[in-house]
Amino acid sequence: MQIKEEKQGDVMIVTIDDHLDTAAAPAFEQRLLGLIDGGERKVLIDCGPLEYVNSAGLKVFLLAAKKLEPVGGQFIICSLAPSVLMIFEMIGFTRIMKIAPNREDALRAFGVTAAT
Amino acid sequence: MHEGSITLHIAADVREIERLNRLVRQFGELHDVPSRTLYSVNLALDELVTNVILYGYEEGSEKEIAVKLETTKDGLVASVADEAKPFNPLNVAAPDLKAPLEERQLGGLGIHLVRSLMDHVSYKREKGKNVLTIRKRIK
Repeated sequence: MQIKEEKQGDVMIVTIDDHLDTAAAPAFEQRLLGLIDGGERKVLIDCGPLEYVNSAGLKVFLLAAKKLEPVGGQFIICSLAPSVLMIFEMIGFTRIMKIAPNREDALRAFGVTAAT
Repeated sequence: MHEGSITLHIAADVREIERLNRLVRQFGELHDVPSRTLYSVNLALDELVTNVILYGYEEGSEKEIAVKLETTKDGLVASVADEAKPFNPLNVAAPDLKAPLEERQLGGLGIHLVRSLMDHVSYKREKGKNVLTIRKRIK
């Protein structure tokens, strides 16, 4: 699984691959929780390329959100494809996580103005 | 949609799930299964097989999982048969979707997805096997 990291202002943007399944989830979990352990407090997951996610992958989002909340962090997920958004709704993640339609909106929610 | 069925034998290894997904997609394309139906059935099968590999079988088990997928007049029916000890995942409590973030549990998400995505899910213990049958109608 390809995971891309980039920093914009104080926001850590993590872009994930097209498939987040049982085989890919452990690497994603390690990277994402590692970033939070390393002190990242504003984390944006860009799911633009994501076409398929199963419960193993979904658990990683839940773990990260649970880890960031008590330390005053912010966790936003953006650019979900309709089929993936349907899955997020089905398991109630849209109630407990912030979902943005695209990266620009997500960065605005973090209080970062897009670089010109 | 064309009539047909396929039976797949899956080894107890998480890397097999990618192969399962590929074969299910190929079956769907060959039989002109609508993509939304195929997406749901593919994900449900992934969840059921993943559960068996991670929790039903011992690591490195030689046992297999038999997945059968079939088109019907009005949709798809699939079954997952494993040789693990008797376990009915439908008895797993549904996650509390209204719980606040700090109280949300990690377990039960997969079977909840299966139930939500499918029109019908049933379990039986038959000839020493757990058999889960799922149905999805084409709307």
